[in-house]
Amino acid sequence: MHMALADRLTAILLFLLGLALLAGGYTMDRLEIRQIHPASIPGLVPMILGVLLALCAALLFWSSYKAQERNAELVLSGGSWARLGITTVICTFYALGLVGWLPYFWATFVFTTCFTLVFSFPLEGARRVQVMSLAGALALGFGVALGSSLLFEKLFLVRLP
Amino acid sequence: MSGLADLITGLGTLLTPMMLFHAAWATLLGIVVGSLPGLTATMGVALMTTLTYSLDSTSAIFVLICMYVGAIYGGSRSAILLNIPGTPASAATSLDGYPLAKQGRAGYAMGLATAGSALGTLAGVLMLVLIAPPLAEAALNFGSFEFFWLAVFGILISGQLTADTTPLKGYIAGLLGLAVAMIGSEGIHAHVRFNLGLQDLNAGIALIPAMVGAFGFAEVLTAMWNRAGELAVKKDKSDRTIPDLADLWRYKFTIARSGLIGTIVGIIPGVGEDIGAWASYAAARKTSKEKEKFGHGSHEGLIAAETGNSAVVPGSLIPAITLAVPGSASSAVLIAALFIHGIRPGPLIMIEQPHFVGLISAMVLIATLFMAFYGLTLTKAFVQVLRVPYSYLMPVVFVLCVIGTFALSQRIFDIWIMVFFGLVGFVLRQMKYPMAPLVLGIILGDLLDKSLRRGLTLSDGELAPFFTRPVSAAFVALIVLSIAMNLPVVRRIALAPFRWIGARLNA
Repeated sequence: MHMALADRLTAILLFLLGLALLAGGYTMDRLEIRQIHPASIPGLVPMILGVLLALCAALLFWSSYKAQERNAELVLSGGSWARLGITTVICTFYALGLVGWLPYFWATFVFTTCFTLVFSFPLEGARRVQVMSLAGALALGFGVALGSSLLFEKLFLVRLP
Repeated sequence: MSGLADLITGLGTLLTPMMLFHAAWATLLGIVVGSLPGLTATMGVALMTTLTYSLDSTSAIFVLICMYVGAIYGGSRSAILLNIPGTPASAATSLDGYPLAKQGRAGYAMGLATAGSALGTLAGVLMLVLIAPPLAEAALNFGSFEFFWLAVFGILISGQLTADTTPLKGYIAGLLGLAVAMIGSEGIHAHVRFNLGLQDLNAGIALIPAMVGAFGFAEVLTAMWNRAGELAVKKDKSDRTIPDLADLWRYKFTIARSGLIGTIVGIIPGVGEDIGAWASYAAARKTSKEKEKFGHGSHEGLIAAETGNSAVVPGSLIPAITLAVPGSASSAVLIAALFIHGIRPGPLIMIEQPHFVGLISAMVLIATLFMAFYGLTLTKAFVQVLRVPYSYLMPVVFVLCVIGTFALSQRIFDIWIMVFFGLVGFVLRQMKYPMAPLVLGIILGDLLDKSLRRGLTLSDGELAPFFTRPVSAAFVALIVLSIAMNLPVVRRIALAPFRWIGARLNA
């Protein structure tokens, strides 16, 4: 995707967000019942921000049509989609799913081991290299899980999730 | 001169075996974090904040300062050896550092980078000691009107100077940060705004989970997305890590100028080390007698970049301590850490804790000494650090992001916030939105909101005091000028006198 198109899509989203802020600020409770000064209503700054954000979004949309070098740049290019996708899935699954569902030690052990194996296991390698890779991942998983558990639970007195 | 006396007192406080032990490990860890591409100083400081909850305030802040100083310097390692800046601050370093490494002079390049960083930080410390106390005293006269414009100016200038392509994206990032700061209970009437029906949002979005997400998780994603760099392994027999004193003396004016530029850039809110390095590099190139060497392994270029980025560190602490307005993204996290440890940065710091500026200057000074020691002695070890594969490193970083975020208030909700900011931060970075104005918006949102509404209440709804009080008027003029500078005609007219002076000096 070219930057120009990405900017246009973002500008639409930001414009809507700006309108939402404006509407949210305008309809926000003005606390008349507490007899506050009308200039100190809680919705004042959100309204101003909404207008400014909508204005900037409009300018961004307009500037995306200019024939500039930056508009021709590619967004999200030059990297590995597979690595990004796998990292996102594994990390969010660990943070939003495993932590809190499994005890912290096991969640961290599973996450660290899987992450390491997914990105370093030599599928085409010799059996010995594969065993070494598996052992390394297991050792790292165990070490990180144990080390971080001890550090936060025993030293910082945090009740682990 | 009381600032220098406070510095000596601060040194006395910190020169204990336990404090030196903290400085030793934290600076070393900082260099390691900074040297690894994908791990930035801000992320290091944010993660380290979560690891220092149980320390006393002096030790905790000392550890964070050492991490900050070490990480900014550490970025030069990978910039020189891999041509990938370990932190954005070292981008300019790679221009001349990597060519030197390719010539087999990586050791000498690292030695020059170490000397430049140490001298830059020292220049910044001197400015910190001399400028911070009078600035804090001047800021005591600031009222709501001035603080409102200060917050606006900070976000605006940060957006303008850190944007990669167009200042518009910097402004948008700042506005998004301010919008995030509007979530939760507001500071005047305790009215809850935009909590979307979630009770967890009543207290707002905490800075540390947001920062750990935007700088930790987003960097894990960026590191896994990008391809790895190529390590420069060529070795020249004449290579050495101790820089030639004659070489340093030859570039004394470059060092002094870069130190000054770096510190001034540090004082400007939310701009940061990368701009300090680029500005120093550009100034050195413009005035150099060896312009043709720049970009091909120039010693002068390397020293200018490293002196510039390191001088930003103490420079950024000046507004952070005296105005509670961060000079860089890392110092924004430091402000949050100061609050966590019961220290209230802002103009009252000189009344509540008059020796604090001296103490923090001493911390930077000691961290610099450790940095110089490690930089000159552990060159080979740092090369090995760069060989650690991401598949082993990144899960460890992410585990720290998760548990560090959770440890702050022991809420699973904070982990969700961290993940959200990480994903959004990654997309915004890819679309060239700078992160510094976003962070500055989050941290200054409350100040801006309260100052505007308090000011309007004090003036009974009149806008005039926002424009007629001297300091407010000066801020308004700066803000208008900053925005107008985006127009080529205004920029040409405004810069004409400087060009004229430059032409006369070069003649």
